[in-house]
Amino acid sequence: MDVMADVSHENTLAADSGAARVQERMQKRNQARIESVERRREAKESQSVAEENYEFFSSTFNREREGIEELLSGCSGADRATAAQNLEEATVRTAQLQKFLSDSTLFLKQYDLRKAQAALQTLQTSLTETREEALPKKKFAFRARTKGADRACAPAADTPPPSAVSPAEPGSTQTDGASEQCGFSNLSEQLLIKTSEEVQKRDVLLTHLTNCKVRLFGSPSTLHLKHIQGCEILCGPVSSSVFVDRCTDSTLAVPCQQLRTHNTTDTRVYLHVTSRAIIEDCRGVSFAPFSWSYPTLEEDFAVSGLDQTRNNWSQVDDFNWLAAGTPSPNWTVIPEEERRTSWDP
Amino acid sequence: MGLLTILKKMKQKEREMRLLMLGLDNAGKTTILKKFNGEDVSTISPTLGFNIKTLDHRGFKLNIWDVGGQKSLRSYWRNYFESTDGLVWVVDSADRLRLEDCKQELSALLLEERLAGATLLVFANKQDLPGALSKEAIREALALDEIKSHHWCIIGCSAVTGENLLTGVDWLLDDIAARIFTSD
Ligand SMILES: Nc1nc2c(ncn2[C@@H]2O[C@H](COP(=O)(O)OP(=O)(O)O)[C@@H](O)[C@H]2O)c(=O)[nH]1
Ligand SMILES: [Mg+2]
Repeated sequence: MDVMADVSHENTLAADSGAARVQERMQKRNQARIESVERRREAKESQSVAEENYEFFSSTFNREREGIEELLSGCSGADRATAAQNLEEATVRTAQLQKFLSDSTLFLKQYDLRKAQAALQTLQTSLTETREEALPKKKFAFRARTKGADRACAPAADTPPPSAVSPAEPGSTQTDGASEQCGFSNLSEQLLIKTSEEVQKRDVLLTHLTNCKVRLFGSPSTLHLKHIQGCEILCGPVSSSVFVDRCTDSTLAVPCQQLRTHNTTDTRVYLHVTSRAIIEDCRGVSFAPFSWSYPTLEEDFAVSGLDQTRNNWSQVDDFNWLAAGTPSPNWTVIPEEERRTSWDP
Repeated sequence: MGLLTILKKMKQKEREMRLLMLGLDNAGKTTILKKFNGEDVSTISPTLGFNIKTLDHRGFKLNIWDVGGQKSLRSYWRNYFESTDGLVWVVDSADRLRLEDCKQELSALLLEERLAGATLLVFANKQDLPGALSKEAIREALALDEIKSHHWCIIGCSAVTGENLLTGVDWLLDDIAARIFTSD
């Protein structure tokens, strides 16, 4: 692993104290940042809550957008200096508008957010077009810069960054990871089991499985599922994300920090998720709280670092569903009476 | 005076830099940003839309934009290209199955005219995972050596441990600073 290779240089002493220094700097910086985050939070909280509503957002947003559009239309037929001034102001105000939108994402509905982003995109496009018309490119300082970059452009090896990133020295413990891959692939009609020792802290990959039962006892770092059909996959607590792609007619049970589900159909998920689950290009996905259990589950929860008391299994974001107010038709909650409560080994 | 000259002057005064973090979803962009900013990384949800962080580092004011990498959000990336000084491309080093997708998105990005002046930092993230590809393997898989249009550098890191995040950002800042604040 690179990180290891980087510090396993000849001069261990220097490397160590370098690492310690970096650590110390990082800690200091983190402290300062936490403080400033807190200051900002306080400032925000004291702001009137009334501002945080859609009316305020949309009227401010639209007024500002119109102002920028006016600036842009003022460029046509104007002299170069005026156009340049208008464009400069429009650029700055567009960036501010983007910032305003970003700051408002907390209380905006997905649909309104998308709409505002689309409006901003249109604005950006007309900004670019107006600029190309009013100020032909050759005047840009940018050009000169690009040319300089062409000459000096070089792979990292030619312009070495600080010593810690020098190319790995020969003989260092370099794995390409291929032999390290943990999981199952290209199997059908089987019972597949991994023990705690096999999956602990590992990145586990399951691909091209058909009609299999998979049991992963233990706590992997991350879990990827791809091309899964008619399977029942039960897994212990995953400390970061579970990534699912092209899964059909299957049942999954897993605790994790994030669940990201893509191109998946007719699949039931018994989920414990401490942040959020998302679906994209999915239909017929249904959710219920995680209910699988095995003897060392508690210990594995501890290893994973997941908060066992925090389960957002029913808060699913559908990245394809724009309408505000109406729930996504692509996922449902499994009715209580239909939920699995017992699992065979 | 061209617009970018004006912007450059403004920046010179404030020593401000605009960094854009992109990459496929699940690569660890938001985690890198929050870890660098000293925030809790255990509660991060998949990004809907984008996050902006403004932070001070080595006397620079960094505006960092973290944009969601889901397929349905990639068409919005262009929204954020304007006056980008540095592009941070984040790769999940253990996700072999999407390396090709990752390569194609990156090369498409580098053709964007509005990113032409930007320095490129590639973070080969998740090096803490046993199955992670090395930064050399990622460098090859993404054909980084073919990039002639941008200054670039690849660094192996882990957003979870914080390893090498600082090294990467410092390289990026040095490269940008050398271009923006000293020339002219
Ligand atoms: N093991 C490991 N997991 C990571 C690392 N960086 C991010 N993750 C996890 O990867 C998942 C996706 O991270 P996130 O920052 O949301 O990805 P984004 O879509 O690029 O913003 C989360 O569950 C993170 O905890 C890392 O360096 N190592
Ligand atoms: Mg994110």
